[in-house]
Amino acid sequence: MNPGIDLQGTFIESLQGFGIPAGAAKAIWMPLPMLIVLVGSTVAVLIAVWMERKVSAAAQQRIGPEYIGPLGILAPLADGLKLVFKEDIIPAKADKWLFTFGPMIVVIPVFLSFLIVPFGENLLISDVGMGVFLWIALSSVVPIGLLMSGYASNNKYSLLGGLRATAQSLAYEIPLALAVMAIAMMSNSLSTVDIVQHQSGYGLLGWNVWRQPVGFIIFFIAALAECERTPFDLPEAEEELVAGYQTEYSGMKFALFYLGSYVNLTLSALLVSILYLGGWEAPIPVGLISSTFNISDATPWLQVVTGAIGIVMTLLKTYALVFFIVLIRWTIPRVRIDQLLNLGWKFLLPVALANLLATAGLKLTFPAFFGG
Amino acid sequence: MLKFLKQVGDYTKEVVQSAKYIGQGLSVTFDHMRRRPVTVQYPYEKLIPSERFRGRIHYEFDKCISCEVCVRVCPINLPVVDWEFNKTTKKKDLKHYSIDFGVCIFCGNCVEYCPTNCLSMTEEYELAVYERHELNYDSVALGRLPYKVTDDPMVTPMREFAYLPQGVMHPHDLPAGSRRAGKTPQEIVAETQAAQAKVSAISEGSSKG
Repeated sequence: MNPGIDLQGTFIESLQGFGIPAGAAKAIWMPLPMLIVLVGSTVAVLIAVWMERKVSAAAQQRIGPEYIGPLGILAPLADGLKLVFKEDIIPAKADKWLFTFGPMIVVIPVFLSFLIVPFGENLLISDVGMGVFLWIALSSVVPIGLLMSGYASNNKYSLLGGLRATAQSLAYEIPLALAVMAIAMMSNSLSTVDIVQHQSGYGLLGWNVWRQPVGFIIFFIAALAECERTPFDLPEAEEELVAGYQTEYSGMKFALFYLGSYVNLTLSALLVSILYLGGWEAPIPVGLISSTFNISDATPWLQVVTGAIGIVMTLLKTYALVFFIVLIRWTIPRVRIDQLLNLGWKFLLPVALANLLATAGLKLTFPAFFGG
Repeated sequence: MLKFLKQVGDYTKEVVQSAKYIGQGLSVTFDHMRRRPVTVQYPYEKLIPSERFRGRIHYEFDKCISCEVCVRVCPINLPVVDWEFNKTTKKKDLKHYSIDFGVCIFCGNCVEYCPTNCLSMTEEYELAVYERHELNYDSVALGRLPYKVTDDPMVTPMREFAYLPQGVMHPHDLPAGSRRAGKTPQEIVAETQAAQAKVSAISEGSSKG
């Protein structure tokens, strides 16, 4: 495999060319990808919100946002701006500090998880060795923030919403982790880059969905529950709990929750596409096309094209999944809390365990297909 | 052991069945996405109010005889009729008349009972104001006629459901001159009048003969 584009290396080298020492050049480079990912994920959220509103409207035979920018594309931006300018209210008998820290604790881990999301072989902030595990660890910090804000609001609906969110996250984290474990076992690595590379080479046929269909379904359902999307949106069930743990929030703090939930949604969709749908790999491998036309892997323009295709493919898969999730929202009614916990503990967990066991067995019997 | 296997089998069957139902539901939702939006894009499109629409009340000051029937039939005695008895003419002189549409329930009793037909219903329903006292209409405001939806060049008028051709479900993209289902009120009136004329002609003929 060729190393592809090495943005970091070229950037540092070119800075050194201006006479900046190597350490300083690296320090200048460091915040750049973080900033890009932060801005990129926020834009991704705006697109996800717009898509949710448009697809919801279409499913209900409405038009949806139309006049705020072309096709209403600026509607989420207007929403965000409105929330920025709104008054920030802290209820009189609320716990001020917990109330303020709650939304932060919810949002920060979600953004931090973008650390391990690759858009190409070298297009990620950091190739952490235990990539996916880091994501699972970070995502289990979120319920603490939810419980915190639910408790601090001094409101029965908030408290119930927070408790429900915690119970739900705890129940669905385990099948999620088990599904990821099966993938990690096949790829012999927890690194997201290694997992995608393990799926590469055969295009559409090499993707993990074919080797892990059960794991894919388990992961998808668990990810839906982790994001508190319908049919698992009990923590903010508006018919019962007003808005769950968000009830007392307004202004920027509410915007943080809102942002966090949609970042989480796009992040989950990104991870589903990375773990099961081949990440940045195109349905027909780019390497195959370039080799049939006798173009060397080292050609600069080919590397740029490959990088661009990688980003487009990742986003395409992600937004296809977001579309599907929105469609599910208008198809499946909300489950009850007992049904939710039954599904988590009595169905997903045993099936995930069986899937892990089967993967282990298949890996021993057919090491060629299931990663030796 | 067999019993356990049977349980597992039944459970699997249920899982497959529920997955099938979810798939069916998703296909329904997906099918809705390619259908035309049914919403009327107010204020760019507006529905044409029906003939019996009970909108803001219109009032003709000159026709009013200050009988106060409207006040008596009103559920909350809403119309304010300010008159003074003129001893020389021995008639009531009407000074002011007003109805507060912030309180009116648009039941139409006053219109129904007005002996001189000085009260009538309009098609106006856009009664948004900045302050509730602005809804208290005096005789001048009551005498204004609303702008018709069909005459407004800014508005695409849409027909209501009952005024659509048979089988058509929403008012968008109707072919020009398409006729509503059933007879129009004018046709019904013409038919009854023709039938009555016929009956009276026959009875006249029989009385003569």
